[in-house]
Amino acid sequence: MGTTASQLRKDLLSEYQELTFLTKQEIILAHKRFSELLSKEDRNIPTPRVPMEKVLSLPELKSNPFRKRICHVFSTSDMKDGSLTFEDFLDLLSAFSDSATLEIKSHYAFRIFDFDDDGTLDGGDLEKLVNCLTGETDGTRLTTEEMRQLISNILEESDIDKDGTVNLSEFQHVISRSPDFVSSFKIVL
Amino acid sequence: MSHYNNTGEYNNPAYHDSDTLEIDRSPSRKSQSHHSNPHGNPYPRDDGAGGQRGRSDLQQLPGGVQSSYDDAQERVPWGGWQEGSWRGRDSIPMGLLPPRSESPRWQQHDLNHSGYQIDQATHYDTTPPVRLPSATSGHVSMRFRGSRKMSLFPVGEAALGNLGLSEDDIRNEMENEEQHLVKELVAMSTRDRIKAIRDLPMSFDDKKHIRGQVLALKSFKKSRHLNCFSDCSTTVSLAFRRCGANMTLARQTLELWRGTMKEVGGKFGTGVLSYFKFLKWLLMFNIFSFLVNFGFITIPQLIYHPTPDIPTGVSFKGLEILTGAGYFSHTVMYYGGYSNKTQGTGGWPEYNMQLAYFFTIAAYMVLCGAALIYSMASSFRKKYVLADSGLGGAWQLLCSWDFSVTNERAVRQRKNNLRIQLKESLSEKFQVALLPLTERLKHYGVFLGTWLLSTGMALGCGASVYFLCQYDTWRTRQSADKASGSLLEEAATLLLPFVVSLINLVVPLFYSLFKKIEHYSNPRMQVYAIIVRNVILKMSILGILCYYWMKDVANTFSCWESIVGQALYRLVIVDFLFIMLGSFFGEFLSNVIGTKCIQSLGVPEFDVARNVLDLIYAQTLAWIGIYFSPLLPVIQIIKFFILFYLKKVSLTQNCQPPRRAGRAAQMQTIFIAILFFPSFVGALSMVAYTVWTISNCHVSPDPSPSLPPSDNCGPFRGLNTTFSAIQIWMDDLNGVDGFQWIVWIYQHVIRSEIFYFLVSLIILVFIYIFRQITQGRKLLIILLRQQIVNEGKDKAFLLEKLQTLQKSKQNKQKKKKQARKRQENESSTGMLQALLARQRLEQEHGDSSSFGVPMPSGHSVSTTSSALMQAMLARQYAEDQDVASYRGVPFPADPAPASSSALIQAMQARQRAESQNEDEFYRAPVQSQNPVNALPSAMIQVMQARQRVESEQEEDEFYRAPVHSEHPVSSTSSAMMQVMQARLRAEEESEFYRAPASSQHPDVSGTGSALIQAMLARQQVEEEYGDRY
Repeated sequence: MGTTASQLRKDLLSEYQELTFLTKQEIILAHKRFSELLSKEDRNIPTPRVPMEKVLSLPELKSNPFRKRICHVFSTSDMKDGSLTFEDFLDLLSAFSDSATLEIKSHYAFRIFDFDDDGTLDGGDLEKLVNCLTGETDGTRLTTEEMRQLISNILEESDIDKDGTVNLSEFQHVISRSPDFVSSFKIVL
Repeated sequence: MSHYNNTGEYNNPAYHDSDTLEIDRSPSRKSQSHHSNPHGNPYPRDDGAGGQRGRSDLQQLPGGVQSSYDDAQERVPWGGWQEGSWRGRDSIPMGLLPPRSESPRWQQHDLNHSGYQIDQATHYDTTPPVRLPSATSGHVSMRFRGSRKMSLFPVGEAALGNLGLSEDDIRNEMENEEQHLVKELVAMSTRDRIKAIRDLPMSFDDKKHIRGQVLALKSFKKSRHLNCFSDCSTTVSLAFRRCGANMTLARQTLELWRGTMKEVGGKFGTGVLSYFKFLKWLLMFNIFSFLVNFGFITIPQLIYHPTPDIPTGVSFKGLEILTGAGYFSHTVMYYGGYSNKTQGTGGWPEYNMQLAYFFTIAAYMVLCGAALIYSMASSFRKKYVLADSGLGGAWQLLCSWDFSVTNERAVRQRKNNLRIQLKESLSEKFQVALLPLTERLKHYGVFLGTWLLSTGMALGCGASVYFLCQYDTWRTRQSADKASGSLLEEAATLLLPFVVSLINLVVPLFYSLFKKIEHYSNPRMQVYAIIVRNVILKMSILGILCYYWMKDVANTFSCWESIVGQALYRLVIVDFLFIMLGSFFGEFLSNVIGTKCIQSLGVPEFDVARNVLDLIYAQTLAWIGIYFSPLLPVIQIIKFFILFYLKKVSLTQNCQPPRRAGRAAQMQTIFIAILFFPSFVGALSMVAYTVWTISNCHVSPDPSPSLPPSDNCGPFRGLNTTFSAIQIWMDDLNGVDGFQWIVWIYQHVIRSEIFYFLVSLIILVFIYIFRQITQGRKLLIILLRQQIVNEGKDKAFLLEKLQTLQKSKQNKQKKKKQARKRQENESSTGMLQALLARQRLEQEHGDSSSFGVPMPSGHSVSTTSSALMQAMLARQYAEDQDVASYRGVPFPADPAPASSSALIQAMQARQRAESQNEDEFYRAPVQSQNPVNALPSAMIQVMQARQRVESEQEEDEFYRAPVHSEHPVSSTSSAMMQVMQARLRAEEESEFYRAPASSQHPDVSGTGSALIQAMLARQQVEEEYGDRY
């Protein structure tokens, strides 16, 4: 794709710059990478979508344990298939960029961790989260007892209003106390 | 639907910020995930109608274009904005309508989404449009604020309902909020606005929408007061912004080692990456100091004295690169190579070398200090957050997952490490149980022993270095007497730096053995202990060296500054060699041993702490040397540059990522702090002592501690102290007009004790005040925390109440229903039925109004119970209807044409349907326990149900009329029959089309016609009804 830079119109580019945390270069690079993912026939459609499988083939996402969740959270697809438009893709990169604020990052992290999309992190979400992080296979998974203990620890630590779930504000409170989060919640193209 | 999560847990497309939304989540969750209701998945698109709609959409246009097309279409007609669930438009048909959006718009809406109308034939257009704001769009407005204004909106949309607010109120609230936001944004300056919009946690589309609104409003306002000034200012600000953007761009383009950093981060994570960042940061310091020194000291010197005064017989031999002595000692490399003259003869402008030297060094030190303090402070503020002690910190572990790690193997390793750490954190919890006293005593004994040993070693090393130094002095004197200057003599000068570097290499390794016998409860403590010991070691060695330079070297040699500069140069170079050797032996060899010989050792880890401490040590040397050797930063730059690549290669070839991830940010903060406190402050005091020994001269009669600059070389030759250069300058300025203020400042500020006294006093006062404020805030935080806990308890209590209330209501209804059934069986006449029905309807009506279903027709909503129940009830109705119609018995399938009394028939039919409905209702009471979860997703159902309730209510009133007064029955019964028939037909048709809907698409027009008929009939009824009253 030699024409990638010219494909992005200037007004669009400035709009993207204004609405995301990305710089011009990053946007152009993102566009290049995105167009590489598109199939030939898709390129003529005004707002093409890249199916999730292709997005996941990016080396930046390939081995991320949350890759599917990331796609689902950032996808605006009606079909809930995790496919991304270019704007969704920019949204993703923006949230994971260096200059995104803690609030944005924690917000999206919360959504990524909220596996059942119900607005809170409950026991099930936390279990899935831990399983995602420790590996899904039986050999790597924590035992039931450990998991129970861990989840109760987590809730004890973060569930301020004691309702058995972690909501967004509680989550953000937690995040504000784990300084590594900002630097590690980062995907660079 | 290719949900990746198809377990039916995808219950709530809405995402709630509000913490009040997880009401009664825990019990309902279980029932939700297991229930088998076909409508359990409340996604509108998964209902029959929704699904059909989706398909018809797809039929019309190919997918990708479709979405944007639809979005556009939906957004345009209503101006208001809708938001689907998170990102999509699941509930767009529920979207907001402008407050006074009359029926045409509503109709348009209907036509756009006619699919939704199939199973709600009772939707009459003349009724005031039921505008149920979808919870999801409400949510978006909540999301606007995000946590930014969380406190302003402690309740979510469901909770608004809790307060007895109707949908109108909620919608108004939401609209207000959006308007508010837009207004707020308009009022901001351009830069702030862009930042604010960017910071909204919303999807790109929504941001674009908000931005569009803001810009539209802005341009509207602007068009009213347009003037030249605002125009100009806009242009200027635009230009500035562009300029700023370009600057950032340029900075990013110039960013060093971006790709390498990414690679390292991708493979080893942020912990190791922080080492490289630190290295780069130090490199920047050195580049800056090189530029300053070279620009203000060396270039003028080279301009006025292009060739160094090298004594005859000294030539470049090659070993100088290592020792820094010989040839180099007469060049601009060292202090001694600079002249003390005020340059400026022969047309050149005057340039006072003394002042230049002094001010350059001073300015660099001050700037360095400021930069360090700034980054340390911001780092402390952002990153050094004290976690609650006693908790396992499991969140810290979970949140520290590195999204930037891209290497498959590294990911697996990290998962492994994380699992181990999680398990450790769990076992730590169990281990808190007190150890027996003897064990604890043993531990304390070990601590005491190791600390004594390490401190003793540090002191011993310091002492040995001191004796070595004295030997060095003696040897140098000997050689100076002989004045031979052979190669061996020069090489002998390398002995001291060699020993120092060897100590720096070996002793830390020895320290790291301590961790085998020490048992710290917390692994972090262990790391801190190692860091502290290493710092003590390095600082004691450097302290001894400085003492030696100040005391012995300064009094022994003629051009002692250059000698010190040379010593520092040697230290820097040899340290560099040792770091290289250390990487080779420490990492490469242990890698070979670990993989080839002793498998149990394994591949070495990259020890971030040790490596960073090495860097700090190297930087301390460079800072101390800045006065004695202004061009030492050059060496430092080269050293760091090579080190970067060396470490990178060594890392990728030999090392594995550290097993303990996390806490990288805190470690970084600690490193910056160490760089500031012992390192920079030490170097600064050393330099300041050299420069500023004036107080010593004045105060103490003993002349020995004074440190006069050497007489024969350097810019300050012949002066008592370096600082007297300023004194001389001031004396010069005193006579010149226009510079009196500088002199005044010098005499009243720099040299006055009272000034410093006052300043320190004021600072102390401020520190005290801020401390008090901090204490107050701490108290406040505790109170607020308690408040949150209390509110949580309140919430739980209220929910419990609500549940019991709900249950008791259901029981009551069940009883009523049974009683009514009996009566039904007995009764035979239509009149009686009608009466009973009326009674029941009234009950129902009473119930429903006590349930708080808001009646748009103007019934005052009794606020005894919450809107939660209302939503639940409505949903139940909707579900019942659907279920019933699925079963194929919604209403009597045979519209008896020759009925004697249409009224009775209608009543019967309705009753039958309703009793079935109620069967359904009571069959699944469990599902009703989670109204909140259902609320946003079952919006369509709610709407249908509400419409139905309304229509029923109207019917109810309708029926009431014939009972109270017999005569209108005749006039209304025909219309009534029409209504009922139309309705039946509509439902039949929808039923009919729904059955094959799984295979073929519904004939929308057919249903539509039935619908229209129903509407017409309804209209007629209402007209008549209206006429009568």
